[in-house]
Amino acid sequence: MIAFGSTIVDPEAYRRFAAAGIRRAVEPDSVVHSFAAVGNTCRGFNLLLDSVAGHDDLEALVIVDPRTEIAGPGFCAAVREALRDPDVAVAGAAGARDVSTIAWWEGEVSSAPIAHRYYEHGGGEMAGYAWAGPVAPLGEVDSVDGLLMVLSPWAVRTIRFDESLVMGHGYDLDYCLQVREAGRKVVTADLRVTHHRALELLAEPDVWVEGHIKLADKWDGHWPGRSGEPVDWKARARRAEAEREAARTMAYSSTLRVDAEVLALERALAEMTESLSWRVTAPLRGLNRLRRRAS
Amino acid sequence: MIAFACSITKPDQFRRCAEPGIRRAAEADSVRYELPAAGTIARSYNALLDRAAERDDLEALVLLHQDAEIVDADLCAKVRAALSDPDVAVVGCAGALDVRSIAWWEGSVTLASFINRYEDHGGGDLHSFSWTWEDAPPWAHTGEVETLDGFVLALAPWAVRSIRFDESLSRFHGYDLDYCLQVREAGRKVVTADFRAIHHREIEMLPDPEEWIEAHINVAEKWDGRMPGIGTAPGSWRERALRAEAERDAAAAEAHTQVLELEARARELERGLAETRESLSWRLSAPLRWVGRSRTPAGRRTRAPRFAR
Repeated sequence: MIAFGSTIVDPEAYRRFAAAGIRRAVEPDSVVHSFAAVGNTCRGFNLLLDSVAGHDDLEALVIVDPRTEIAGPGFCAAVREALRDPDVAVAGAAGARDVSTIAWWEGEVSSAPIAHRYYEHGGGEMAGYAWAGPVAPLGEVDSVDGLLMVLSPWAVRTIRFDESLVMGHGYDLDYCLQVREAGRKVVTADLRVTHHRALELLAEPDVWVEGHIKLADKWDGHWPGRSGEPVDWKARARRAEAEREAARTMAYSSTLRVDAEVLALERALAEMTESLSWRVTAPLRGLNRLRRRAS
Repeated sequence: MIAFACSITKPDQFRRCAEPGIRRAAEADSVRYELPAAGTIARSYNALLDRAAERDDLEALVLLHQDAEIVDADLCAKVRAALSDPDVAVVGCAGALDVRSIAWWEGSVTLASFINRYEDHGGGDLHSFSWTWEDAPPWAHTGEVETLDGFVLALAPWAVRSIRFDESLSRFHGYDLDYCLQVREAGRKVVTADFRAIHHREIEMLPDPEEWIEAHINVAEKWDGRMPGIGTAPGSWRERALRAEAERDAAAAEAHTQVLELEARARELERGLAETRESLSWRLSAPLRWVGRSRTPAGRRTRAPRFAR
């Protein structure tokens, strides 16, 4: 039996996106748990684990972010395929290798076809994580994105989300690190979803920074695959401080570039709509609008 | 005599940008030093200092990048006024206080009287905040600063003869902050003055991030413990590393957000352009535009730009 679960802060988002996708994906014997979010993200997820751990016939728990919509049929088959290797404990739609911080997308990104649906600027859809340049094939990764996490029965019964991560940021990476520390695998698989989310990646950068530090502090010295490596903290600090300033400067550059490119398009549109011919034909467009309204 | 000096790697760019500004600002007796670059910018600038230092009548040396265009015809008068205080050793048109690293713009910028004129992305001007005083924010003012933007610098004779650019730091980056730190360590002042310049450059601010990062580290290492605020930060090295890594990733995420914003805003505008082009009224009025185009010089015709994103 494949179970589905969500913890919900925004019921409307859950109804429109996650619930719609779950309805599309469930099998007759599937169990669906939806709980109001209590405390932090990890506490809510542990409630989901507790709720399904007792099912003897559990094949997987699919944790669905309320803004994630499972896209197509055949989802349960894809889940079973992803967990076919008994060493696999977590599967996701997107993830990365060579991850060293909660900014997992700075690693080598691997992603199933994910659509990112946004609602700003008139709305639209783009390929999810195209900005991160996903090049790695689907398969074993260091971490998956929490937008959709498929947990094996072993993971459900053995590994807990860390409720001491008060801010919630990095809960997905932390879970994957625990799984890997226990000797199991994390994979990306062909789990197709649409993620309905804002364009902005970090809504609260200051809070995210604190979450980043907390997770780095927690795993310092025993990060799977890197434990025991000597650390020259002074050199690391110098480098990171330089990289931080470089990243900030490149962010300014991005802002300027966006402004310049949009300005050029705005100029082109303005030239068209301020032209004599456009102004002369304004009454025609007015009539057309009236006609459309009347019909 | 106020001299002008430029180190040149791209003669075309020099002729198009720096030279007109020098002609605009130079006085009848001004001497011009225009030398091909020799290795790093610090080494090239030191060669220019060597030349200028020989002049007994030197009042100031204006060092400028080949892509910097001085706007003020009365630059020399403004430089003389700034250097009338004998403690002033370097003058510029953009500078900041509370500077902690070669990213001086992360400090409290007090003056930025320049335009960044770009030709990429359809071309345009980005006005810095004190380009016009009418539009300048309350914090814009001339006066003493901790560092200057090196694209246009005016050096007092003392600076020309006493302080050298550090050739060991980087090929291009951080030389301006380092020079200002040396000047201040020697007890002299660095100030901004009310002159303006155009920086003809691409929008991309860091085309060579690795090299810039190395320069950042080198300057921090050199000045840590010598000048307050430079190369230091609260916390242990471990705490500093973890915080900086987090803030680095947050800044990178902000840049990714900008890319997504661009994509979404451009799509919205492209939809608007397509709807306009496909509308009945646009198609009906095509003959009018054809007549209009036949009366417009070819060079002024524009097309909607297409961007590779």
